[in-house]
Amino acid sequence: MVIRYNCIDLKLRLYRMIYILKITEVIKIYLIDLFELKRFYMGFNIDAKKDMTYDAIVIGSGISGGWAAKELCEGGLKTLVLERGRIVEHIKDYPTANLDPWDMSLHGSLTLAQKEKHYKANRSGFIGEANEHFYANDQDNPYTEMKPFLWIRGHQLGGKSLLWGKQTYRWSDLDFEANQQDGHGVDWPIRYKDIEPWYSYVEKYAGISGEALGLPQLPDSHFLPPMELNCVEKEIRSRLEKKFPGRNLTIGRVAHLTEPLNGRGKCQFRNRCDRGCPFGAYFSSNAVTLPAAHATGNLTIRPFSIVQSILYDENKNRATGVRIIDSETNETMEYHARIIFCNASTLSTTQILLNSTSTRFPQGMGNDSNELGHNLMDHTYRVGAMGSFDGFEDMYYSGRRPNGIYIPRYWNINEKTKSDKFLRGFGYQGGAYREGWGGAANRDGFGADWKDQISTDAGPWQFFITGFAECMPYHQNRVYLDKTKLDKWGQPTLSIDAEWQSNELALNNQIQSDAVEMLNACGLQSVTGFDNKHEMGYGIHEMGTARMGKDPKTSVLNSHNQIHSVKNVFVTDGACMTSSSCVNPSLTYMAITARATHFAIEELKKQNL
Amino acid sequence: MKRREAISIGGSVIVGSILFSIWESCKIQPGTNWNPVFFDAKQAALTSALVDALLPKTSKPGGLDVNADVFIDRVINETYSDADKKSLMDEINEFDQKCKEKFGSYFASLSNEQKRKCLVEMESTSPKFNGKVWGTGVGEQKPVGFYRKFKSMAVWAYCTSEAIGKNELKYDPLPGGYHGCVPMSEIGKVWSL
Repeated sequence: MVIRYNCIDLKLRLYRMIYILKITEVIKIYLIDLFELKRFYMGFNIDAKKDMTYDAIVIGSGISGGWAAKELCEGGLKTLVLERGRIVEHIKDYPTANLDPWDMSLHGSLTLAQKEKHYKANRSGFIGEANEHFYANDQDNPYTEMKPFLWIRGHQLGGKSLLWGKQTYRWSDLDFEANQQDGHGVDWPIRYKDIEPWYSYVEKYAGISGEALGLPQLPDSHFLPPMELNCVEKEIRSRLEKKFPGRNLTIGRVAHLTEPLNGRGKCQFRNRCDRGCPFGAYFSSNAVTLPAAHATGNLTIRPFSIVQSILYDENKNRATGVRIIDSETNETMEYHARIIFCNASTLSTTQILLNSTSTRFPQGMGNDSNELGHNLMDHTYRVGAMGSFDGFEDMYYSGRRPNGIYIPRYWNINEKTKSDKFLRGFGYQGGAYREGWGGAANRDGFGADWKDQISTDAGPWQFFITGFAECMPYHQNRVYLDKTKLDKWGQPTLSIDAEWQSNELALNNQIQSDAVEMLNACGLQSVTGFDNKHEMGYGIHEMGTARMGKDPKTSVLNSHNQIHSVKNVFVTDGACMTSSSCVNPSLTYMAITARATHFAIEELKKQNL
Repeated sequence: MKRREAISIGGSVIVGSILFSIWESCKIQPGTNWNPVFFDAKQAALTSALVDALLPKTSKPGGLDVNADVFIDRVINETYSDADKKSLMDEINEFDQKCKEKFGSYFASLSNEQKRKCLVEMESTSPKFNGKVWGTGVGEQKPVGFYRKFKSMAVWAYCTSEAIGKNELKYDPLPGGYHGCVPMSEIGKVWSL
């Protein structure tokens, strides 16, 4: 069934969409939006000229690479984006976007062969028949877990921007000053005031919905209208905020349009985001930044391009380009540029830098500090509590909201909230929902009456919260190249050697006990705390390994994301992070990337690069 | 196209002959009128009988009307590892053996009253699934055993079939918006998707 849709062109696909949209019932909506989407249909320029020197090379096309491409192209630079995987064109290459469960052979399950292909990523619980094609092949792309570490990769145009959770939160000075305050890691070379205008800049273009709260620890973004809380979430919010002054419950802040923006349609509440959104309603490189880069005429994308290393000219003391391996032909070739942006994803960027050795940099490009590969961070994951809510049995909701609730950090945000058990803090995501037919197997009974109630009894309301705790930058949490284990292209693979330390475990304890306490206090029934004891990587917020810092002796990048010792190489993906905050990092990658690209363009104009 | 047609004709012949042999074997295993790809005939008969006991036909279609039994057999075949297949096989056989010891016959051949008694007991002794956060169970899950696992799979097969998912549950592939507090009476039925 799935293959069938690969064979038909965009027009036919649109016709099918219209059919599925049940025109007669939902004529109220969005046909205009639908046809406007046609303008996103594009043939990217994939004719990369080998002999040509580009103004800029961007390695990777995910959240940060897409922003780098857009800003550099709009700044007038001829830009080559190197993508390790295939081209995924917005709408055209979302073959499962409109499939119902019964349209899929296994109603969404993975075949045994697919489970084997994704034998690592399958541990996350997020992969199914509908989105399997956006997860990298773990067999072709091995890595070694010296300690258990889940490394999720998206090897296609758009990378993980097609799969991400879309939760978008600004960091605050609580985060940027954390290392300096408690002495862990090194100090960030920037503060909130440095990045604040760039948050605004990217938010206005990406489109972030949410509710302004005016909290110092979680600054407000430029918000589109917030999504709605449901009955139970509203009730729990009022109980929680009454019983625990200083704790807030709000709707998740998300990169989903709740109003049309720049020709993109608003969210249709289908909750099928990870198949690619045909309305362009959530932020992805494919729907947002790459079309903008393409529109300038300055963008070239080369797919199937594994960057083997960055080339270094010992005489000029600068990078001159990159060496790539064509993943399909195994051919090696070089591309040259005046500046290079590394946006391959946290660990892939560091892998490339470690593999970029020269007489000047025997331990990897820019690794004078010996910090390259070190200080790997993530957020803790799936620790919290759930319970059922008595009441509102006669109430339900309509629409499948791709979002939940958020409880911002409330520990260690000032003198009054200081903990003696741990440093830093955590926030919660969660939500209330009715079990629906998914809860029927747990409900007592079988046979005629029980069966007929499956379609009439929505089941009890459930509510859960699950914490995300900040992880400290520890030098011993690291990745390194293993030259004895090569991948199918003959390249050294990454070994990952990292684990939670006592502070993260103490935070997790507090997450669970606070969650149980809050749910009980809010009147929930059968409250159960949980801790899935997930190792690092499950948060899919890997950060660090090429950190920014003030001192070249202890960091890899300067305050503008340039490698201290190779100024025309920039790293603006998660690898650059100096600490991890407890909030989701992607919005900060966007802002840091926009900031660094504008700096790079100015420096080029001044002929400093 | 010609090759395709040839395959399809060849396929029909093969399917035809398999159906014939199934038809033949049906004389031995009443209740199995389909061709299992994973189960043997006895297990297939149990699967159909269990689906029918859990999800009988009423004014609304039953589990067998939407081929939930056929689907379960195919899903296990295509998605279970060899180790998981073996342990499921053991659980099924154990379940049926217990029926035989207790009621004198395998589940598929029990009277409706005996089937009911059997399932009442299963219902009271089978542990339940833990809650889920984003598709993954939380905390330490006690093994739920064959009955609960099968019940869950049957509900899933039933509710994600087109006949039920589109017509019996509330189906809206394009909600267009989210409304967090709507009277149940306005929606009427449980959401399909």
